[in-house]
Amino acid sequence: MAEKKVLIEFKDVCKKYVQGEHEFYALKDANLSINEGEMVVILGPSGAGKSTLLNLLGGMDSASSGHIFFDGEDLTTYSDNKLTKYRAENVGVVFQFYNLIPTLTAYENVALMRDIKSDTSDPKEALASVGLADHLHQFPSQLSGGEQQRTSIARALAKNPRLLLCDEPTGALDTDTGKEVLKLLQNMSRNRKRTVVMVTHNSFFADIADTVIRVKNGGIRSIEHNDAPKDADEVNW
Amino acid sequence: MLLRKMWRDLSKNKAQFISIFLMSFLGMFVFVGIDAESSGAGESARSYYTEYNLCDLWVMGAGFSDDDARLASKVKGVKDVEKRLSLTGTAEKYDNAYMYVNFMESDNINRLLLYEGEPFDGQRDGFWLEEWFARTNNINIGDPFSVKIDSQKIDGRVRGIVDAPDYVYYVSESDLMYPNYKKCGLVFMAPSMYPDPENIIYNQLIVDVDDDHASDEQVSVIKRKVEDRFDRDDIAVTDRDQNLSFATFDAEVRQHKAMGAMFAVVFVAIALLGIVTTMARVTSGQRIQIGTMKALGFSKAAITLHYVSYGFIISAAGCILGAFTGSLVMPAWILSMFEGSYLIPDLHGDVTGTDIAVTALAILVSTMVSFMSCRKELKDPPAVTLKPPAPKKVRHSGFEKSRLWLRLDFSTQWNIRDVMRNKLRSLMGILGVMGCAMLLVCGFGCFDSIKGLMDKMYGELMTANNKIVLSSDADADYAYDLAVRYRGQMIEEKSVEFVSDTAKKSGSATIVDKGNFIHIQDRKLKPVKLTDKGIAMTSKMAGLLGISQGDHIRWHFVGDDKWQYSRVEQIYRDPSIQGITMKRDVFEDMEYTFAPTAVLTNKSVDPSLSEEDEVSTVLNIEGMKAAFSETMEILNAMVYVMVLAAVLLGVVVLYNLGVLSFVEKTREVATLKVLGFSSPKIRQILQKQNLWLTIIGIIAGLWAGWGMLYVICTTVSDTLDMFPILYFPTYIWSVGGTFLVSVSVNFMFSGKVKNIDMVDALKGVE
Repeated sequence: MAEKKVLIEFKDVCKKYVQGEHEFYALKDANLSINEGEMVVILGPSGAGKSTLLNLLGGMDSASSGHIFFDGEDLTTYSDNKLTKYRAENVGVVFQFYNLIPTLTAYENVALMRDIKSDTSDPKEALASVGLADHLHQFPSQLSGGEQQRTSIARALAKNPRLLLCDEPTGALDTDTGKEVLKLLQNMSRNRKRTVVMVTHNSFFADIADTVIRVKNGGIRSIEHNDAPKDADEVNW
Repeated sequence: MLLRKMWRDLSKNKAQFISIFLMSFLGMFVFVGIDAESSGAGESARSYYTEYNLCDLWVMGAGFSDDDARLASKVKGVKDVEKRLSLTGTAEKYDNAYMYVNFMESDNINRLLLYEGEPFDGQRDGFWLEEWFARTNNINIGDPFSVKIDSQKIDGRVRGIVDAPDYVYYVSESDLMYPNYKKCGLVFMAPSMYPDPENIIYNQLIVDVDDDHASDEQVSVIKRKVEDRFDRDDIAVTDRDQNLSFATFDAEVRQHKAMGAMFAVVFVAIALLGIVTTMARVTSGQRIQIGTMKALGFSKAAITLHYVSYGFIISAAGCILGAFTGSLVMPAWILSMFEGSYLIPDLHGDVTGTDIAVTALAILVSTMVSFMSCRKELKDPPAVTLKPPAPKKVRHSGFEKSRLWLRLDFSTQWNIRDVMRNKLRSLMGILGVMGCAMLLVCGFGCFDSIKGLMDKMYGELMTANNKIVLSSDADADYAYDLAVRYRGQMIEEKSVEFVSDTAKKSGSATIVDKGNFIHIQDRKLKPVKLTDKGIAMTSKMAGLLGISQGDHIRWHFVGDDKWQYSRVEQIYRDPSIQGITMKRDVFEDMEYTFAPTAVLTNKSVDPSLSEEDEVSTVLNIEGMKAAFSETMEILNAMVYVMVLAAVLLGVVVLYNLGVLSFVEKTREVATLKVLGFSSPKIRQILQKQNLWLTIIGIIAGLWAGWGMLYVICTTVSDTLDMFPILYFPTYIWSVGGTFLVSVSVNFMFSGKVKNIDMVDALKGVE
């Protein structure tokens, strides 16, 4: 098996919140590494620090101490502007509540990515690849939850990001729709060699991941590698 | 795509953005409109003065010879000097019109603007008549015309129809304030027309300085040199600012500018408040969207630009459109009212650099304000912005800890908290109501003040029911007979020119015989007795001349070369006639002959009296009041603008506010509904807050309106000494009008309470 390239590495990363006289660690001394092209699932109960981890990965928040390397570059040394550029160039985000711009149609929401990156894929193709070729000109409020989430995925994919971050992507969806979304994400990793990091509290999803990172009380409890991940179809919850 | 998002966001928040648009529009419409009007009028006048060579200095005295003219022309900086004899007379054929008569050899200075006929020629007989007078009296080139000066009649034919740059504004003695160019004419003629041409004595030198664009300082230097050169006590040298015609128009233009600025400030301030609240609401409502855009990789600059352009586009559209239409509509409208007041050819609006700069500034400030109001959501990292905002810190005010607080019912407590939490929104509501009430009070107050002015003039200061105005045919004996027959009081009214160290002003003198129909009031409007010792001067005139009680003033009757230097013994206040009043004894002590011009009486006057040659007209008190109100046309027009603006302002601001608070409170209202509050009860709660804000706004507006009225009254003109007056009904109208606007707008929104769907409103934020 060919040596896999490390895309992301956390070294002693802490995220601390200060509230008055109280200090509170959302994440403490986290160490981990993620290989390029992997499907990673971060598991943990709510409040464990999953979202903090995801925010730090996506350059949406900055660490209080420690180092985060992306492709060898230390994100913790980045300025705001550089972080923004990092997000624009490398990161695609899929939110639990989709976070589409309500006043833009599905097509326009995806086409919006052209404003921040030059080599985006065609919005029509991106939407077709998530099965929404027939819903191009509908507003988010006219789409079902699953359709909105797929639009959101299309939006993330249109950027051709090296890293796709998903925050409870099925959290607001029913089981069948959720499966479709999972399948889409798994295909991203398997067929298009994108690194997909998914945050969830649903332990069933561990089965489809190449790597499972378990988080609890702001610390990383375990990192497991799964040699034979299941297909998204096979998971039940 | 962001552009598309913006358009859709704008149309989603139509009501508020339209109100911002309207306020920007109105602000610039009024400001640029009035500024373009006043600048254009000023420019029209300036170019008229330059092209027709308005003199820079007037030298007035008992008599000037050719030598005097030469003397003056040798002063360094003086280009040219001309002699004039300026008198007043009457045109009997034209309803005894008051005539300003000028004899001169040439018109190189104060050149006549020729409309019809032949150019002025100092060698030819005939009259050159002012155009408005000629037109309204239907006098044409070649018609016979005559003018009577001191019982000497001059006959001739009309050679030219003209206007003169030194007579853009003038009034007769009986008009005193508002020009009536049909009854007050202006005529120019050659010295040969003078009854005794060999012995003509000129009473005026008009002086033109070398530099056409000399500054005020340069002119005043030359003025002093001219004074030094003559070194005579019986002359007075005055400049343009001391000239009635020039100064009146100049003041008018400046007043308009001030008025325009005042209106603009109100509207632009409201527009800014609208932008602040609306943009804050839009951006806080789109918090998650902003977080998403940040997470997606939009730079702060791109997001800022996006939100700032909302404010920019709306205010730019409003301001530019307002400035454009204002500059077209307002000058045309206002300048049309100048007709018949100011004799300036080709009055037109003129958009200046200031207008463009102010428009740009208004847009810039609006843009800045929208930047400030959306900055809050932009400074945090995306991870923070993506989360719902931390709840506002609610601090308990001292009041909330008091015992009183606990006794208040829920709705009062809730409303107090709501107001405290949304200070800006509440402030905007108060300001909107205040502006509305202010403009209404001020508008109606203008009517009140004019009415009060008339009541004072014809009821307190002049208490006779009838005024028999004598013609120049009447001699003193005739007047005495009338006074006896009607138990009346004789008065003589004359025009006076005053010269102080700082100013030269025209005014009027009233000489009163024994009687009880003329009264004076001191500065505090308390009735006082007219002094026996000397002259009494109106406070406005004293102010304009820069003198106070006990100071001396140089003055003379117009058309009389004898100058007086008198001590001002008393200061009194008169709303409409500015000048001096003295008793007959005082007048006669100065060696003048009392020649009554009118008899005041309370007895009903025989109608046949006005047919007599000696009687010019018989005025009754109602007729005088009516004639006076006709002169307030421009002020009335301003009042209509104000009232219209008030209502518009009230509706727009309150509607905007209604939308805002309604949207913000939807969730709270839904919660109250779920808890079991009935719709009427909720409505009552919401109305309570609006009621408070409206009442506070109205109280503040009454004060502000009074202040605005005071400013308008005190700056309205040189000749009017208006005092702000508010009658009781004005309060009712203003308060009632504001309430009506406020309540009806609020009613519209609180009616929507019924339509709030509890389930829908309580679902997710997005």
